[in-house]
Amino acid sequence: MHQDGLFSGESENVIRWAATAGVVVALMAVALLVSVLARKPEWRLTPVAKWILLVGFFLLPSVTMLLGNVVGFHKVKQSCADCHTMQPWINDMKNAESKSLAAKHYQNRWINEDQCYTCHTGYGLAGNFEAKIGGMKHVWHYYVAGVPQEIKIKKPFPQATCLHCHSQAASYRKIDQHVDPEFAPKILSGEMSCFECHETPHPPSLKSSGGTGPRKTK
Amino acid sequence: MNESLDKALNAMSPPPAPVKAPEPETMKRRRVSGKLLAAACLLAILGLGVTIIHLLLPSPLMFTLFMSVGQGAFGLAMVLYLFVIFSDLRRKKVL
Repeated sequence: MHQDGLFSGESENVIRWAATAGVVVALMAVALLVSVLARKPEWRLTPVAKWILLVGFFLLPSVTMLLGNVVGFHKVKQSCADCHTMQPWINDMKNAESKSLAAKHYQNRWINEDQCYTCHTGYGLAGNFEAKIGGMKHVWHYYVAGVPQEIKIKKPFPQATCLHCHSQAASYRKIDQHVDPEFAPKILSGEMSCFECHETPHPPSLKSSGGTGPRKTK
Repeated sequence: MNESLDKALNAMSPPPAPVKAPEPETMKRRRVSGKLLAAACLLAILGLGVTIIHLLLPSPLMFTLFMSVGQGAFGLAMVLYLFVIFSDLRRKKVL
């Protein structure tokens, strides 16, 4: 049952609490540091000052930075649609008549939340790390370097992303070609792409809406 | 008359500037440590400021600024603080 109370444990609620706690702890650390700065320079070298700085540099900010990372990593998963570059892809995903795989997955909620992030991030810590680095590059392109009109995926879409959910599903195993001894190893190894038979994830004809940086023509 | 003129001129000229004794090494180090700590505090306040804005207004750009400017400034502040502590301990021959 969906709960919305203060301690409901809903992820958005937890993130709000984490953000509030982070701000409070950060303000406490700032107050400590300002109090040290406001004193005479000779006092800053006393043992008392150094102990205060230990709290102000290590204990409190460690908590703040940790909470900042938790909030940031959670929020960034939902931020793919924030940049209007991706609007054509978002519109297609939400289009009830679209036949693309992204639209079907979204319309049927086969992926319940963070839909873009779930498919476009590899699994494990390395996958998350790669996604974060890619995200920072996207921010750079959007605000500074420019966004090309045609956005192409950097490398072939990893088969493992589809198979992570589908390979053990009964509906997948019912299809003869998926379990055929000739095709199954090729599918599992990625030699044979899911998109050789299935619809493309996104319509190939879509063009980006650009960013705030210069417009790239290619 | 020349003597009295000389005396009058000497009385008018400013006294010679006192020769500054060279600053002891310890005092110089303490001054530098104090400045390093002040710089560390300012960098940490900058890092925490960016963090607070990121927590209040999360967005991809703010998150990028937090990860780069915020945590970078804060990391540098910690390095400066640790340097001062380490120097202090070495000076007192603890390390």
